[in-house]
Amino acid sequence: MTMAAAELLKELSKDDRLSRIAVSDTGFIFDPQTGQSFTLNKTGLVTLSHLKKGSSIDETADQLARQYGVTEEVALNSVEAFLLQLGRYL
Amino acid sequence: MLHENPMRETNWRRWNVAITGMNASPESPGPGFAVARSIREHRHFQGRIIGLGYDVLDAGLYSKTVCNGGYLVPYPSAGRDALLERIYQVHALEGLDAIIPCLDAELQNFIGIQSELNNLGIKMLIPTREQFTLRAKDHLSEFCRSIGVDAPETKTITNPLFFDECEAQGWQYPLMVKGIFYDATVARNSHEAKAIFAKLVHSWGYPVLVQKIIPGDEYDLAAIGDGHCRMLGAVMMRKRGLTEKGKAWAGVTVVDEAIGKVAEKIIRGLAWRGPLEVEVMKGYDGKIYLIEINPRFPAWIYLSHAVGRNLPAALLQTLANEPELDLSPPKPGTFFIRHAQELIVELDEFESLYVNGGISTPIQETHHTGLNDNEKFRAAS
Amino acid sequence: MDSSVDITDIGTWEPPFIQPHKMGALNKFGQRTLRDNICREVFGVPVNDLVRRYGSPVFVVGEKHLRQNIRRIKSAFEQRYNLAVHGWSYKTNYISAICRILHQEGSLAEVVSKFEYEKARFLGVPGEQIIFNGPNKPKDILRRAIEDGALIQADHMEELKMLEAVADELGRIVKIGIRINFDTGFTEPWSRFGFNLESGQVNEAINFISRSDHLRLSSLHSHIGTFVLEPRAYAEQVRIMCELMRKLEGVENVAIDTIDIGGGIPSRNALQTIYLPPEQAVPDINEYADAICEALLAGTRYRKEIGKELPRLIFESGRAVIDDAEVLITSVVGTKRLPDGRRAAILDAGTNLLFTAYWYNHQVKMTRNAAGSEEETVLYGPLCMNIDVVRHSISLPPLAAGDHLVISPVGAYNNTQWLQFIEYRPNVVLAQESGGCSVIRQAEDLGVMMAQDQIPAHLASLDLSGKIRPLSRSGNHPTLNRKLV
Repeated sequence: MTMAAAELLKELSKDDRLSRIAVSDTGFIFDPQTGQSFTLNKTGLVTLSHLKKGSSIDETADQLARQYGVTEEVALNSVEAFLLQLGRYL
Repeated sequence: MLHENPMRETNWRRWNVAITGMNASPESPGPGFAVARSIREHRHFQGRIIGLGYDVLDAGLYSKTVCNGGYLVPYPSAGRDALLERIYQVHALEGLDAIIPCLDAELQNFIGIQSELNNLGIKMLIPTREQFTLRAKDHLSEFCRSIGVDAPETKTITNPLFFDECEAQGWQYPLMVKGIFYDATVARNSHEAKAIFAKLVHSWGYPVLVQKIIPGDEYDLAAIGDGHCRMLGAVMMRKRGLTEKGKAWAGVTVVDEAIGKVAEKIIRGLAWRGPLEVEVMKGYDGKIYLIEINPRFPAWIYLSHAVGRNLPAALLQTLANEPELDLSPPKPGTFFIRHAQELIVELDEFESLYVNGGISTPIQETHHTGLNDNEKFRAAS
Repeated sequence: MDSSVDITDIGTWEPPFIQPHKMGALNKFGQRTLRDNICREVFGVPVNDLVRRYGSPVFVVGEKHLRQNIRRIKSAFEQRYNLAVHGWSYKTNYISAICRILHQEGSLAEVVSKFEYEKARFLGVPGEQIIFNGPNKPKDILRRAIEDGALIQADHMEELKMLEAVADELGRIVKIGIRINFDTGFTEPWSRFGFNLESGQVNEAINFISRSDHLRLSSLHSHIGTFVLEPRAYAEQVRIMCELMRKLEGVENVAIDTIDIGGGIPSRNALQTIYLPPEQAVPDINEYADAICEALLAGTRYRKEIGKELPRLIFESGRAVIDDAEVLITSVVGTKRLPDGRRAAILDAGTNLLFTAYWYNHQVKMTRNAAGSEEETVLYGPLCMNIDVVRHSISLPPLAAGDHLVISPVGAYNNTQWLQFIEYRPNVVLAQESGGCSVIRQAEDLGVMMAQDQIPAHLASLDLSGKIRPLSRSGNHPTLNRKLV
């Protein structure tokens, strides 16, 4: 599982794919490559902004755990699941 | 936070007018955008026009040349309370003076919230529930009989076996098969008729209407009933081109007294209050047959502006109790040809409508709320 | 819009989620429920108290509401036609206390099976206050109904013959009704019930009766459908029935004193196939009463002219009487995010208790203000059955396990059509007019479920020694003890 998410993050970071995604503070995001738009929930928005800045999976989970006061295990599982979703759509 | 202003603007020229039906797909456009365009282009109008839509792809909501803002409202099926709550929110942001509903399916909800809107000083020229029902498709034959207007023979049916036996009973194909609310399709034989019947029942339920087809030419008339049996400013049009769905995409203004008389009878018979479209067939037998009465302006209403009888503006003037409506004499021979055009929408406009349910250009004049756009929408969504 | 973003409000924790926008139905205000969509009490009793005392799920009936409904409906008919009588349709909801309330209010019992007939008698309803309809009336119960003096309305020729035979055995003259069907042009004809008018089956039945030694036709019955939204359909029904009555004047063994128009009047529930909301789609009861009574007065005017009494009008509304006088309180047991992005919640009540969820979009209200934005949500029931869906799509704020939801209106057909499938059926509670609550149908338990089972002698004991392999040989299953990674 960890491996798959890490692979995905690597794939999504290629050619600045992730950093080119346009994000609004309303949770509305737009993929300039496919023309598809999406809605993120608040936590999704926070998670994506960490990933866009280049944080690793562990770093992102670490920050989420601190920001929301959840355990690192919960945060890590969530980040990995979120990356699987991103992998499906982006 | 409602927009309370005891000194509502009485001059219709400076009103904030909300208009529904802003979908403008080329196949079957809603009338709202044409109504908005007519008002916007009236030489005296200086107010704001707010589009109300049901989908982020309702094009009229984004048109900066016609609308000052656009908002999404709940589907008619959500009921009157949901609509009222949303109108309260839009009113808090925009300070509405009048609303012009332009779609059949939403009209009952607007009838249901009329008194609440009245209390806020928001005016509407719409029919009563009874008037609305009397002109409905399944009551139309009865109504025509009562006012002495010809109508094609119509039968409500619930049993598709009718289509096998109908020719023996004097119902020759082709026949028009109609849903109780929408849709009308020509059936050329019983096989087709039964397929159409099944589809209509699936979409709109029982009963289904069967109508004899009158050979002749189609004419439409748009006008306003003042609620006191008077017809204001009729504009008549002969259809010259039809889309696959049977909507006019080309037409020309005409002046035909006999058609005008039929419309007057209808307006008198119903004491109709509000805009309406009367669809008639002028039969080759010389008689005029009433096909349908629509409780709103038609999608071709911009043609009324073109011939100097701007009916949407006249509706505002009626609401403002203007003693004189500025309507030129009827003028035949002006054509319209509908064409599709691409409207350009920026990503942030799409986002604003999608996320917040509204877009708006800044309010400069009397109704300033003191909030910037983003704050406004947050407050409302 | 930028490619980087500063987030000031990070919200509260929920798993991060991304949802693609689908074209075609983009309006987050479209299905929005009202802001004030909270229901903290039902029929004057706090929801939390009800759940604490009677468990979840629980059905709650409002006595005062029910009595107000039946009084309003009866007076709508009686003030227009003073020979109008209401027959309480048992199949709509035959919980004993509910039947008793309606009988107290003066309603006859309208029953359609042996069980319903016996139940009405058990509840103390005299035979002459029972209308016995339905397509299957076995001989033994027909005999009892004849002896009791109930109004039996025959559905088919075999039943007429059986009635004749039983009346002969008892040596009695029996007044009966026949059910007829015909096309009103407004609703889908229900031609499977009763004798068809257009094809001459009614004539056949009348001929049989007029030649009979024991049967006398006193009542015409028809029922044009269910959830009939068009009052004019009833006017047409009454017109056709009166026309038939007039044709039958003077026919041997026929003296019509009752016109029974059945039921089918809708409640304010939202049918899935109807586009408009119920407050617009469903006409007021007075519109029905107007259409029916006007047609009846017109159709029976000839009787005054020939100096004959007017017939009694029986109407058998069930749904319109009980539906909105009962709610179901249910609780969220789990939540999910479906792969297509929709929220989902699993409830402790599903289509096992809410059979009507197959055709209505019931109203669903929360009992607390929930933080978070509304989203399209699917409400699933507790059954391991894919079709167990309470609402396919409803706009709700995020739900949490333990949340209570109030579902309404549910009074019609659920307490009779509910399924006994894998779950116990819960308490039904009456919020009494005089205050206080009482259980009117007790929750099932294992004892109830086992009461009908019988175990033959050779299965009397369960000796499993050495016959069944345990699920795991010991507590030390190697794969279960390893920490999952």
